[in-house]
Amino acid sequence: MSSTKQKLSIIGLIVLGVLIVAFFGVRAVHAYRHIRDGGFGPGGHRPPPATETDVQLIRDWMTIPYIANTYGVPDRMLFKELKIPEENNREKSLKVLNDAYFPDQTGIVLEQVKQAITDHRPPAPPTAPSP
Amino acid sequence: MSDFLLTQVINYGAPLFALILFLGALGLPIGASVVLIAAGAFSEQGILAWLPTAALGLLGAVLGDALSFSIGFYAKDWINQRFGNSKAWQSAEASFDERAGLAIFLTRFLVTALAIPTNLIAGGSGIKFRRFMTYDSLGEMIWIILYGGLGYFFGSQWELVSTFLSNFGGVMLGLLILVSGIWLAVRKLRNEPASELLAKN
Repeated sequence: MSSTKQKLSIIGLIVLGVLIVAFFGVRAVHAYRHIRDGGFGPGGHRPPPATETDVQLIRDWMTIPYIANTYGVPDRMLFKELKIPEENNREKSLKVLNDAYFPDQTGIVLEQVKQAITDHRPPAPPTAPSP
Repeated sequence: MSDFLLTQVINYGAPLFALILFLGALGLPIGASVVLIAAGAFSEQGILAWLPTAALGLLGAVLGDALSFSIGFYAKDWINQRFGNSKAWQSAEASFDERAGLAIFLTRFLVTALAIPTNLIAGGSGIKFRRFMTYDSLGEMIWIILYGGLGYFFGSQWELVSTFLSNFGGVMLGLLILVSGIWLAVRKLRNEPASELLAKN
């Protein structure tokens, strides 16, 4: 390899390295901020390990029994709310159920599950008045 | 692909998880690290039993690595015929031999994008299989404990750490390329004055 080609290859390698570090570095910092905002970072606290309450964490790859287990709700209640038979559907993801039962309504199963869990949740206890 | 696999891990548990790590170790782009972090979260939620899941996962990953090492080993003759006379290849092979253990170990969990090329090069470079497996098993164990442990710690919010780790892996890869470039530049600058003097004499 000629000296000029070698120099260009080395410069290319350094520039590529800088670009990759910058690209992923910015994304990593953003992701870290999300972690810190979630109370997991240094000085943060971990939420109690009881059943999950944030329905925004439900994804369409999840199955009904998995969601029921995670959110501490009966899975039969979720099937009933969706008006979908439990039989043969326990191992299917929300997306597969949506495509099978509501092909014209994208994301409706996910939204209905979120709503059903929110409705099923007991009301939050009243906060004590500050002195 | 990852979404489909996550659903199946919920349904079929540790054996499927092990199969995913096996296929990931063979180089299939199926998001094995994402599934590993998720498996940690599933263990925390009581969906998977953490010890058999971790043990089967380790077995799957190590078997996949062993197979990709074997591919490199059996492709050795072809590679030698093709590149054996190249000085650059011989030099790369020699410098890999010097740092093979560290490269195998670190690419298991720190720069995972380079794990497959490392397995293939290790197989073709004449490194003993037992030596490869020692560093490989240690690295994979750390990968499973670290990524799975973080998934366990973050529970249902495991996606937060998954996003961070995938970008962190990219930073590590970029740093490796950058350091390699700087190292080559320094080596060239050191050699150039000497070669210029030789040319003058």
